[in-house]
Amino acid sequence: MKPLAGIRIADFTVHAAGPFCTHMLSQLGAECIKIESAHRPDIFRKPHTVYGRAGPATFDQVASNKLSVRLNLKHPEGVALAKRLVGIADVAAESFRAGVMKRLGLGYEALRAVKRDIVMVSVSSSGQTGPDSHYAGYAPLFGAWGGLGHLTGYEDGPPVEMRHVMDHSVGMNAALATVAALHKRRRSGEGSHVDVAAREVASSLVGEALTASSTGIAMRRAGNIDPQRAPHGLYASREGDCWLSIAVSTDAEWRALAEAMGEPQLARDPRYGTAEARIAVRGELDEMVEAWTRQIDAEDAARRLQKAGVPAHVSWRAADIAEDPHMRARGAVVPVRETDGRERMAVGFPARFSGSDAPGIERGTPGLGEHEDYVYGELLGMGRAERERLIETEVIY
Amino acid sequence: MQHDKPLAGIRVVEHAAGVAGAWAGRLLSAMGADVVMVEPPSLCPLRNEAPLFRQGGSALFAYLAADKRSVICDLETETDRAALDALLSSSHILIDDTPLADREGLGLDEAAIASRHPDLVHLSVLPFGASGPKADWKGAEINLVHAGGEGYLLPNGLSVDLFPDRPPLKIGGHFAEMQGGAAAALAALAALWSGQGQYVDASIQDANVAVGAFALQRHGDGSVEHRHTRSFRFGGVIECRDGYVELLTLEERQWKALVELMGSPEWALDEALDDATERSARGQDINRHIREWARHHDVEELVARAQKLGVPMARYNTPEQILEGAHENARGIFQTLAMPGVGDVKVQTAPFRFGDEPLRLGAAAPKPGADQALLDARFAATKREATA
Repeated sequence: MKPLAGIRIADFTVHAAGPFCTHMLSQLGAECIKIESAHRPDIFRKPHTVYGRAGPATFDQVASNKLSVRLNLKHPEGVALAKRLVGIADVAAESFRAGVMKRLGLGYEALRAVKRDIVMVSVSSSGQTGPDSHYAGYAPLFGAWGGLGHLTGYEDGPPVEMRHVMDHSVGMNAALATVAALHKRRRSGEGSHVDVAAREVASSLVGEALTASSTGIAMRRAGNIDPQRAPHGLYASREGDCWLSIAVSTDAEWRALAEAMGEPQLARDPRYGTAEARIAVRGELDEMVEAWTRQIDAEDAARRLQKAGVPAHVSWRAADIAEDPHMRARGAVVPVRETDGRERMAVGFPARFSGSDAPGIERGTPGLGEHEDYVYGELLGMGRAERERLIETEVIY
Repeated sequence: MQHDKPLAGIRVVEHAAGVAGAWAGRLLSAMGADVVMVEPPSLCPLRNEAPLFRQGGSALFAYLAADKRSVICDLETETDRAALDALLSSSHILIDDTPLADREGLGLDEAAIASRHPDLVHLSVLPFGASGPKADWKGAEINLVHAGGEGYLLPNGLSVDLFPDRPPLKIGGHFAEMQGGAAAALAALAALWSGQGQYVDASIQDANVAVGAFALQRHGDGSVEHRHTRSFRFGGVIECRDGYVELLTLEERQWKALVELMGSPEWALDEALDDATERSARGQDINRHIREWARHHDVEELVARAQKLGVPMARYNTPEQILEGAHENARGIFQTLAMPGVGDVKVQTAPFRFGDEPLRLGAAAPKPGADQALLDARFAATKREATA
């Protein structure tokens, strides 16, 4: 069995952050029922032009493995049906703006009334409380609010906007908190309302800078510079736009790098013998390292440096990841077959388990309402006539 | 340990030298687990990692080790290995980031732990995981953010417009390692939920590939992402008179609200721009107008008006602005902790909460060996049982 086998999720989440939370839980074995309607399908299911081309660019990954039902929450009977789904679920997940679920009649108290120990997880931009809780937001705004954007970027340049990694980081944290809440339920019999504010996930990722700043230390963006390490950065290789990341932390790593560069005299040079000395001539060292890397194959150099004990890795493109034997061996990238027979690569769960069945993706993207026979028929025991009436009245729509 | 916290009653032993393992422990401690750091006699190296307080000591450590306990344990010796065993016998999760090659010598290899503690969740947290061809590779933060695919795509937006020829970037702080930590903590709690003691092999690279998932999907769609081209067609990082804002309008009503925010200028009323595809095609032109307009406005005024109209816009907050933020303080996301030798510091307690109230931390980061008695007492108790 997968680790979370037996857990069922009523999944009201949309966009990226919330769906990534339930996507992780689904890969771990939870049964995830995605709730949408033709009136309001997940915006990520629809084609949109934000990436400069009209196509649903981002839906497949986070929707895969999930079951899909149609349910119109704008209809009073739809709300009643949603409660029936929550009644057979362990977790109810949502990612609307704060207050929307309550207005729909599906707030935490309403859900508790139908399932006393429900774990409700709410993912939003700014949390369920506080003066900005009504703010709308997307990943780049979370990064901006939380300080991650301000602290990322070249020293002399503007802040940098965070993209999907920000959304998904929020989802990862939400998944973690949800499983913690399940542990609490197991121990105490009590449910929880998990409140995940995306901007607080962003700020937690620079928490050490916030703590330092609270004592009056000015924290600024620093490009690829590490205040305690040199050489440290991205170095151009002989192939265009192919970069090698190198991080030298110890004197031994420095000596190994110098040897690998074919400059053993540098390893013995007292001007570079300590981290403090190397940091003082950081720019000079960067030039020396790049003079070497510009002549070499980056992948080959990374292998050689790792063998010599120096942390190094090529700045990888998606194609490098998709084709990497290490990634495939770990199940970190997995092939997924869609219902039309098409196979695509997707990202698996980022850990392996020795005792449980391997997490992963077993089904592709569900069509809207694809699993209603199972969910409404088998799980809720609804007869054909009742379902037809609800379809007719656009409750199941 | 507060009894109403979700992980009350769960004990975690953390043997971590890196940020990912320590962050996994920290997330669990924030949720109420009793996390005991096992430090070598040379102490946890994170105690010396930047940023450093002026008075000495690490702000990173103060953040990562808050609400943990510390014992010093020399795992090179048999006695201390036995002491650790005693501690593990009353624990639920072991977090370990020791490089694979060094584990056996410290009694921390998978087989040894499994044979002595079959009910334990043994969580391994390594840069490239504990299995696969790169399992013994080293990875610092900058290597990992680039091994996961996101680094190659950074920066984007205004930054890459200004500096198209510079090398790609890392994200500020320890983003990649913290992804590894969060994913590892999730995996450990899932394993614990299964009721089966087991070995969990978490990889920081895998976690970063996971949160960067859309790049792989787009690759499959035949759309190659590059930092020079993945910028939003308009919006993004916008410079105002006194700082930067982020602006992103994805929906039709948000575009219309943006036009209103800008005072409905003539160029924006062009009917052709009612079509999202056309707006996308004319993105550069639109952004030129937006950037010109924003330069005449202050951040605070603009963001307040934007959010009122339903335009997604946010200030690029500095750390000081977050620490003083009205929203952050209303939600109580920071807790003031007294750090010996440093004074009061603010620490964000957690990235999530359970109910309306924020999670509270029980104590500041521990002094080395502050809880040594815990280790000794448990070892003594086990020895007594063995004698009896």
